[in-house]
Amino acid sequence: MHLITCPWCGPRDEAEFAYRGDATVARPAADAGIDAFYDYVYTRANPRGWHTEWWHHAAGCHQFVKVVRHTLTHAIAATGKPTDTLPVPAE
Amino acid sequence: MSAPESRPAPEPRSPLAGHLKPGRHGAAGSRPLVLREVPATIVELAARRGRAAELAAAVRGALALDLPPPGRGAAAAGATALWIQPDTWLVVAPRGTEGALAAHLKGVAGAAGSVVDQSHGKTLLHLAGADARAALGKGCRIDLDPAAFGPGRAAVTQMAQVGCVLYQHDDVPSFSLIVPSSYAIPFFDWLCHSAAEFGYEVP
Ligand SMILES: [Zn+2]
Repeated sequence: MHLITCPWCGPRDEAEFAYRGDATVARPAADAGIDAFYDYVYTRANPRGWHTEWWHHAAGCHQFVKVVRHTLTHAIAATGKPTDTLPVPAE
Repeated sequence: MSAPESRPAPEPRSPLAGHLKPGRHGAAGSRPLVLREVPATIVELAARRGRAAELAAAVRGALALDLPPPGRGAAAAGATALWIQPDTWLVVAPRGTEGALAAHLKGVAGAAGSVVDQSHGKTLLHLAGADARAALGKGCRIDLDPAAFGPGRAAVTQMAQVGCVLYQHDDVPSFSLIVPSSYAIPFFDWLCHSAAEFGYEVP
């Protein structure tokens, strides 16, 4: 069982969550142009290592949870609320 | 603003009516579980943005009920509040006049909160007995060990693939389970199968 700690509900099975993608992308300014929006919507780094991402606690409190997860090992270094800034391990 | 138009609404209908078979079921044993559906009024109460403290004070004043923090429920004389998501609770009370609790809560909350009557959409089951944790554990991903989950704890989770609000009342242990009415029959059937090895009674 892979546990994700929801900041509201505590440790919960990964099956209660829906993956919602990269949490580091920032929406461009409205006049940033088509290329900036293309990158915002589609272009992802797909790293092998630590990744800050959104998980939606869909079968629990329905909140978005920020998660720092290692894409190779699935280890989770930190979780927090959407407004939290989470430290990302160096390696 | 004029008062909302009053429309006669039908009484909530038990989604398990005709499906519950009163009596003793499953294995013979000296300590059967007790499993029943409880006629209830279930109202969702949500604080409007930035007004949770105001809503909590109003509810405390009117119902002597402290809206609980995440992961907990709180019981008062007439109603129990269960935390379900940030600044949102389910208020559960014995079945009363259709719409009365929702109207009362809206009057108490005023502009600090929003109220949705869920009495038709959800139903309340009650499971009690020494083996209740083991029966629930077959479909529940929450750690129900007394060290991790005890009286007063509440959780929104999935059980047997059905969205469920779980609340532990006491050390018997006895649990309330609130599930969508549309899923009440498959959920109840799963619970019966799960409880069968311990023996269970439907009053
Ligand atoms: Zn949660």
